[in-house]
Amino acid sequence: MAHIWPIGGGKGGSGKSFITSSLGRLSAGLGRRTLVIDLDLGAANLHTLVGIPYPSKSFSDFLLKKVDRLDDTIVETPFENLFLISGAQDHFDIANLPYEQKIKTLRAIMKLDYDCILLDLGAGTSFNTIDFFLISQNGIFITTPEPTSIENVYRLIRSVYFRRIRYCFSVSQFKALEEEAIEQFGEGAFNKPECMMKVIERDHPEPYRDLQNDFNAFRFRLIINQMHKRDNAALGAHVCRIIEKHMGLQIDFTGNVSYDERVHDAICQQVSFLDRYPYTKTAGELRAVGRQIFQPAGRQLMLQYV
Amino acid sequence: MRKSFAELNYYEMLDIRPGAAAFEIRQAYGAALQIYQPGSLVSHSFFTETERREILSLIEKAYQTLIQDQTRKAYDDELMSRGEIDRPAQAGPDARKPVGIFSISRGRGQQPAGSNQESLKTRIRQSERIAELTGRHALSGEDLKQIRTELDVTLEQISQATKIRQDHLINIEENRLARLPAAIFLKGFVKSYLKYLCLEPVEELSARYMETVASLAQHETAQEQE
Ligand SMILES: Nc1ncnc2c1ncn2[C@@H]1O[C@H](COP(=O)(O)OP(=O)(O)OP(=O)(O)O)[C@@H](O)[C@H]1O
Ligand SMILES: [Mg+2]
Repeated sequence: MAHIWPIGGGKGGSGKSFITSSLGRLSAGLGRRTLVIDLDLGAANLHTLVGIPYPSKSFSDFLLKKVDRLDDTIVETPFENLFLISGAQDHFDIANLPYEQKIKTLRAIMKLDYDCILLDLGAGTSFNTIDFFLISQNGIFITTPEPTSIENVYRLIRSVYFRRIRYCFSVSQFKALEEEAIEQFGEGAFNKPECMMKVIERDHPEPYRDLQNDFNAFRFRLIINQMHKRDNAALGAHVCRIIEKHMGLQIDFTGNVSYDERVHDAICQQVSFLDRYPYTKTAGELRAVGRQIFQPAGRQLMLQYV
Repeated sequence: MRKSFAELNYYEMLDIRPGAAAFEIRQAYGAALQIYQPGSLVSHSFFTETERREILSLIEKAYQTLIQDQTRKAYDDELMSRGEIDRPAQAGPDARKPVGIFSISRGRGQQPAGSNQESLKTRIRQSERIAELTGRHALSGEDLKQIRTELDVTLEQISQATKIRQDHLINIEENRLARLPAAIFLKGFVKSYLKYLCLEPVEELSARYMETVASLAQHETAQEQE
């Protein structure tokens, strides 16, 4: 089974697609059959970043049943071992993907025969986006060192946490839990998964244990992209620290990727930044991040809800 | 279940081990402020204002309790009686002694001071050496250099942020009077330098520096004439 890395991060423009394509290149460079999937439907641009300005097929062919299997929407890229499912020409918005379509897609992705699959999830915190994020335990959050981006990534992390809790309960149970949390911890509790966990611990010991096990098995990661010289290099570590301390969720800080104007140049010239500017600080940091992420990973558990 | 922040003991709040030495407590306090202070990027939007205030007051209390030997001992006794920490305090007997500011070993140049104003301010507040240097009437270039090194800020960082050429900064710090720029520029440079280091009050300090330089220069001319 492929290792799947969903890549998300609240805010638009933080560099999700750039990082996804770079990690894709790095993984493919290790000789692994690598597939990048553009799930940022409606605003897809991953194809351009992997050198296919006009993809011949796209994800919508699968949704519209023009093809039977998700496999049939995969296109080769100019890079050895790197493949793409494009989201171009999709008139769907992932947030509006109907439930059956979503489940069908999730299942199809899990069945794909690749060594490594990277999902570019686009911005936003819609339930669908989060469901794709939760497809594996290896979700990667991307943020830039700006308050707006930090705010959004916190929102996304909380939403992911809530969504995972939600899987364990029925709609009405979940609603009751919400009310209970608010009653006990005040209005602020409505966006605090940690408060809800306290209620669950008290009232539902069994799901609580399952959830804890599940959260312990997550290997979420955080990458800070577009670091400038004056930014605090310790930001990522500190962010992970307060998430752990105040939400009880463990996220590994994987590294900083510096801002470099040549990223823009490479994208404009439609060449791979890593190939064109391999000796820049940014390229070195991308490789370091890649090494961390693709180091021989253990067994990967898929979530049972699908 | 995990404890909420308010349920943590002071060591846990500051992320230090029970035997931590004074300088570690100071450092941890500085780091905590950097994370929780209003305006901190790390905790941006993470807490409500009330939550933040509560956390900060807990951190303040933790710091004040642990940094003073007497209150710390009483607190440790309480933790021991609750069985939260072990009796033979994990620290050697001398680890508790206040540690001179000079023995703090910090990594050099890792601190981009711009985004670290709070941490600089904390360090300034806590450094006896800096208090001594800024407390005297005279303030020379060499004094500035000492303060800067005390704060672990490099000349490159200042030069980069203030756009003042490094050789000017070096001349200032080395009191090379003959090579200093004209007074009007010099004052501006020193003000930017002070601001970058978060040293206050800028006006007063820069005025004192200018006076010091002027009297040094007089002294020098007097010597030359002799
Ligand atoms: N490390 C970097 N240095 C400089 N520029 C960068 C860096 N990373 C990304 N960028 C710039 O930011 C822009 C946005 O990046 P990207 O398209 O990858 O963001 P995104 O998170 O996928 O956005 P969206 O949510 O809109 O899909 C890119 O066009 C690129 O020019
Ligand atoms: Mg994108």
